[in-house]
Amino acid sequence: MATTARRLALGLLLGLLASAAAAAPPAKGDPNAKFKLKPGASGKLCLECHTGFQDTLKLPFVHTPVKAGDCADCHDPHASEHGKLLEEEPERICAKCHGSMVPDKAKSAHAPVLQGKCVQCHDPHASPQKAMLKSAGSALCFTCHQELGTAIQAATHKHIPVDRSCLGCHDPHASAPARALLKKAPPALCLDCHKQDAPNFARKHLGYPVTGADCTSCHDPHGSANNGILWASVHPPVIKGMCNQCHGAAGTPDALKLKRAGADLCRGCHSDTFNMIQSKNQVHWPVTDRKACGNCHSPHASRTAKLLAAPQGQLCGSCHQDAVKRQETSLVKHPPVESGDCVTCHDPHASNATPLLAGADQFEVCGNCHDWKTHSTHPIGDKVVDQRNKNLTLDCSSCHRTHGTPKAHLAHFDPKQDLCVQCHADLTR
Amino acid sequence: MPRRAPSLLVLAWLVATAALAAEAVHLKPLGSAYVDAKGGGLRLPQGVAVSGDLAAVADAGNGRIVTYALTAEGLSPRGEIAVSQVTYPIAVAILASKEILALDGKTRRIARLTADGTFSGWLEPSGVEGTPGVRSLAAAGDTVYILDVTGGRILLSEPNGAVRATIAMPPEVGFASDLAVDGKGDVYVVDSVGRRLWVARKGDAALTPLTPPLPEDFEFPTAIAADADGRLFVADRDGGGIVIFGRDGSFRGRQLAMGWKEGFLRYPAALCAAPGGLLLVAERGNNRVQVFGTR
Repeated sequence: MATTARRLALGLLLGLLASAAAAAPPAKGDPNAKFKLKPGASGKLCLECHTGFQDTLKLPFVHTPVKAGDCADCHDPHASEHGKLLEEEPERICAKCHGSMVPDKAKSAHAPVLQGKCVQCHDPHASPQKAMLKSAGSALCFTCHQELGTAIQAATHKHIPVDRSCLGCHDPHASAPARALLKKAPPALCLDCHKQDAPNFARKHLGYPVTGADCTSCHDPHGSANNGILWASVHPPVIKGMCNQCHGAAGTPDALKLKRAGADLCRGCHSDTFNMIQSKNQVHWPVTDRKACGNCHSPHASRTAKLLAAPQGQLCGSCHQDAVKRQETSLVKHPPVESGDCVTCHDPHASNATPLLAGADQFEVCGNCHDWKTHSTHPIGDKVVDQRNKNLTLDCSSCHRTHGTPKAHLAHFDPKQDLCVQCHADLTR
Repeated sequence: MPRRAPSLLVLAWLVATAALAAEAVHLKPLGSAYVDAKGGGLRLPQGVAVSGDLAAVADAGNGRIVTYALTAEGLSPRGEIAVSQVTYPIAVAILASKEILALDGKTRRIARLTADGTFSGWLEPSGVEGTPGVRSLAAAGDTVYILDVTGGRILLSEPNGAVRATIAMPPEVGFASDLAVDGKGDVYVVDSVGRRLWVARKGDAALTPLTPPLPEDFEFPTAIAADADGRLFVADRDGGGIVIFGRDGSFRGRQLAMGWKEGFLRYPAALCAAPGGLLLVAERGNNRVQVFGTR
């Protein structure tokens, strides 16, 4: 009796489920139902016109919806507000299925990923490469990172994993734990291969306990022309293995401790620079602060000449953000500012001329590039009084602002309307 | 979300201070000092200080201190102090005793000058570790406040150099260019790189943020002054303006613009709040000290 009742209940349940399934609306995203395609049309209909896709489908790696013939997963067969009849904005369509490829609180993310430009690396239909990548291996990366690719090719001292694949160290989408899309932050990443207890490791580092340091403060992970894949610009004591010029002796408890703090450490060897600084009226203030030379220079090695911690424009711009912004919004670009060559005009350490000019005065500094001395010009100089302020004489900055202005000729005011009449008020129209 | 956090902080700060915006301050140009008593022009003035009716200007380009009498009408030339020990003064302060302290840009040492212009020695901070690297200074009564960027601290010193207290500057301070002390003994610092203000209330051992970073209000702020009413004036050197705050960091407005004529600013290098609601601005780019009314 109980068995019969159980069978009846089960039959009723199955009946209910079957009728519910029949009454349910078509599954979301099911193109057969959505577009009321004829039976068997899905996966075939589009290919009747797009015949070239027959070859695409033969490639080893095919996007799952393409393989299933679900073209309408991504494309609307009738009309769309987006190019290529895409159902969604090109920058968002992949995320419909794949979600965000950037983890929460990622320390770095690949720009094309952030911008939703997945097709920069992936073919949305099919590819001979795994993950439907457009090219194989590192060649794909070098289509954008050309300069790096050239440098890697030219490096005489190679980092072997780089030749194998960029993906050995980098995550192509984003990295939660590290900068530069690194899978782990150095030194952990490097120590995966470079065993710290290997005798060669200790010998190469002269017995200093470097395993807590950022390896990239000395080494160029992409290869270098220098032994030990050191960066292009190396502090001579590092090359000579004279670490104890600045640090304690290897093997002592304070081996890595600096012998002196701040500028006092650098003064011992760079006395000429310090004497020059002392002889000038105006110092670049970071020279005097706690980090002193370390504000701008890397103590071990750098990719940039003179051991600069970053390319000059980027380095100066990290504090002088207003100058960067001024140049970016300027109507006319002053070449040294645009190229980030700040030392063309400024002395980064000290000067007698305001503002830290790399010359006796504006006339000398500007005259290095501009040949105004060789032809007639508006009167300028120590004897030409500025009509706006009797305590000033006319110089280049009377009319121009070297980092940039919204006006032509880097002028403070519109040269056609407002500049000249600042002084020649009687000529105002 | 991390990118939103600073924006929300700024928004909260703006909302919290919106009520005070009604008390906006207007700077009214009252005149300027261009010359000394003999008619010699100022050149690259980079410091200014007032005590009572005595005003001192660090006339850096001429390697001297020029003194003025401060009256309701403005600055009246009084004399000059030129000593061989100070060849490029970049900041000045005046003690209650009328002793003038001048920071020399070349040696970065503080010279003690008597009111009659005699060099009486160096103010060498003592009782602290390391050699201070002095960026700026201020005085309140007979206490000298020394901005030591090498040591990352502010030294509260006697005129003879005996340091009786220090205020630590946290590493988060981008670069401290100037400091000011108000009537309550609170110390304010302008952070040029962080484009924000820091404060140490009287007795505090370390600076704390007074404002969030204000990149929309500052291009490169380098000078600060505090007046008797508890208002803070900050010179935006590269932007040619003065930004005004309450002592709680509330925004009270931005005044003036880049220019050559009076009422405009060109690379303001130093500020000083004076009795009677006056604000003195030493302009490096205009070779003058402008006087503004602030009430």
